[in-house]
Amino acid sequence: MLPAHCSRRCGPLMAELRDALDTCAERQRQLERSLRVSRRLLRAWEPAETPAPEPTPGPKTNEEVLPPACTPCPQDLKELELLTQALEKAVQVRRGISKTGDKASSLKSGSIATHATTASAPPRASERKPPRGIGQTTTPASRLPKPRLLSAGDQTCIRRRPHTAKPGQSLRDQPVAPSAAPQAPEAFRLKEKGTLLQLPMAFRKAASQNSRLWAQLSSTQTSDSVDATVFSKTQFLQKMQMTSGWPSSGLSAAEVEAEVGCLQKASSLLRLRMREELTTDPTDWMQEYRCLLTLEGLQAMVGQCLHRLQELQAVVEQPLKPWPEGRLPRASLPCGGRADPIWGPQLLLYSSTEELQTLAALRLRVGMLDQQIHLEKVLMAELLPLVSTREPLGPPRLALFRAVHSLLCEGGHHFLTILRDEPDD
Amino acid sequence: MGRGRRRLRVDPADAAGALPEAIAALSRTLPAGPSPETFRRAKFDRPEAASALWQLLFRVLSQLLADSASATPTPEAQAGWVKSVLLSQGYPRRGLAQLAEDGSQGSRELLLALAWLLAQEPLLERLLAQTRIRLGDEMPVCEIHSYTRGCHSDRSLGHLSVAETELLRDPEGGRQLLRRLESENARLEAALAWRCRELVFWQWMDTVLDVCPPETSQPTALPRRRKGRAGELELVARELQALQEELRAAVEARRAAWEARVGSREPEWNAAQRAAQEAVGRELAALRQAWERGGGRAQPHGPHRLMAPGFRLSATPGGPALMGPWVQDFGLSPQKQVDGTGQSAGSQLPRVQSRPWLCVPCLSQGWQEGWC
Repeated sequence: MLPAHCSRRCGPLMAELRDALDTCAERQRQLERSLRVSRRLLRAWEPAETPAPEPTPGPKTNEEVLPPACTPCPQDLKELELLTQALEKAVQVRRGISKTGDKASSLKSGSIATHATTASAPPRASERKPPRGIGQTTTPASRLPKPRLLSAGDQTCIRRRPHTAKPGQSLRDQPVAPSAAPQAPEAFRLKEKGTLLQLPMAFRKAASQNSRLWAQLSSTQTSDSVDATVFSKTQFLQKMQMTSGWPSSGLSAAEVEAEVGCLQKASSLLRLRMREELTTDPTDWMQEYRCLLTLEGLQAMVGQCLHRLQELQAVVEQPLKPWPEGRLPRASLPCGGRADPIWGPQLLLYSSTEELQTLAALRLRVGMLDQQIHLEKVLMAELLPLVSTREPLGPPRLALFRAVHSLLCEGGHHFLTILRDEPDD
Repeated sequence: MGRGRRRLRVDPADAAGALPEAIAALSRTLPAGPSPETFRRAKFDRPEAASALWQLLFRVLSQLLADSASATPTPEAQAGWVKSVLLSQGYPRRGLAQLAEDGSQGSRELLLALAWLLAQEPLLERLLAQTRIRLGDEMPVCEIHSYTRGCHSDRSLGHLSVAETELLRDPEGGRQLLRRLESENARLEAALAWRCRELVFWQWMDTVLDVCPPETSQPTALPRRRKGRAGELELVARELQALQEELRAAVEARRAAWEARVGSREPEWNAAQRAAQEAVGRELAALRQAWERGGGRAQPHGPHRLMAPGFRLSATPGGPALMGPWVQDFGLSPQKQVDGTGQSAGSQLPRVQSRPWLCVPCLSQGWQEGWC
């Protein structure tokens, strides 16, 4: 489409287009990956997702890291809950007994009566339970061939509910056998038992340490030592500047680029504002006056921006230091200031799925628009110089205009038709 | 050896070992940080320290600028890229530009370059923030949030995120995540340790500068600037000039109309006029802030953790942001999407597409001239 002599411009253009395609493909892959992960979490959790290591060494050595879980069945969980309630009551009873001396009548049902003996002999029970609790952790490791899910019946929960170990063990024999079979009828489902999950201790510790360290790092302290450090850094930079063989004035290429970006942003903001003022009809004299003042103010600001731009142009034309060759990377320091705040993850509450959908849709749209705008700018920078030269008009030139117009102004979707209008004479 | 003629300042901290500790902390914070011994050798411009420092600078700069195109394997290409980036960022010393790119020399200059980067901005914090492990969700996944409510040990968060649930489902993945968390914690601790000790490092860098031979001020041939660099500048200039023209025309017309309408000045008008002037002045100042402050775009899109409401077991004092008003600001129609600076991404595209016509008057003139 473009004439042959423009082909040497195509190199950087093609590179940009390829970059854009790669970015989109990468983003698509990321989205697909997170969808896969989420869907997998919502399905029944397969017990054999990871290749099974040897039963004893693996899970055992990582006991404190992530103890192997077991698949509870609903029956298990019900019984565990009942037992928990009973034993908690028993603890209360024991406290009541030790305080008042007589309060043993609050036990509920027959199934709990079997534990009444343990309730009435609390010290023995309490010192009996923990060893069994600890012993409990090794048994699943040796019994279950594959790593399981963390759930209520597991070690970390055993810490919270120390007395569930004993009954759990006897019941665990049953689930092991059927779940060793490929089809586990009692596979874990997030929907039903998600609220029973608990994160492993090691992870929780690491995560809380992580947020604590980040908070420390992000806090800005002012003290004498900090001031002395800042002072010595400034001195170092000044000394660097003085010992260099180049004149110290002048902006770096990155700074020029950043300022040009700022001025470009200024240009679009000013234009938007001008449009707003020009399109609203003033209803009274005061509004009319304000509109006039605003337009005059905008005019002054545009003048200042142009002045600054001319200064930058002078810097670019006469570089006092070697200007770097090649394309600069896209990212650079933000205009107006160098120090970025360290952004910690901010909590963002949502209240409905519609909000989430809107969020996702808008984010995609913004990403797409950003990409389009960037490509448009690149195209403009590459193609506009081609059409700006004062060459004589002719069919090849018109073809060039048509091509450039289509690419830049119509996004490549439409082509103009050029008609030659012969006068009738 | 590279010791200068004048007597170097005796640095007692050096003897005390505070300096090696500081450098070691710095090294642990950096990705691929070299040993304190490498730093010491670099002070005396030893060649064996050069390649480690080239690689370090390459890693740091390519991460900072997020430039995936710079994943070039050869050391020469890496060295060339590092030089180019440092120069473009305004590195003040000529010695860098004169370094050979085979990666075999220049360790002292590279050490100075690293210190220069460190001195100018919170480099370490930026590097760490870029690779920060995100435990929360940014993708909307409300079912998992609702199924795991009440589970989180951290009382201010009400439910698990996908990453946390995933680590429960897949212990091996969980172990890997834990290892990554632990290594990030180690780097964070090193960064905090560095902060306490860095003064001694800067005092030492002073001595490094003293050891350098003075730079000669002979003129070097400056490479020609790329035409493309000026392209963006010219585009912006033309835009602004076109804008200026439009504004001039509009202002002239309105000023004339206004002057014609308001014949005599009444006293109460003046007060009202002054008030209007002040109000307009404030609005325009706010507008200027919007582009000068810069980076406004980044704010709503910073890292965040999505959370379903009603599941938090305790209120946090700072309070999380509510998505509702934020989404409303975006507007349900993407065309009205507004970020903090008042710039509309949706409406920018059609405007950008109409730009070429503004910038190339000869184009429209060309149409008019037709075939000749």
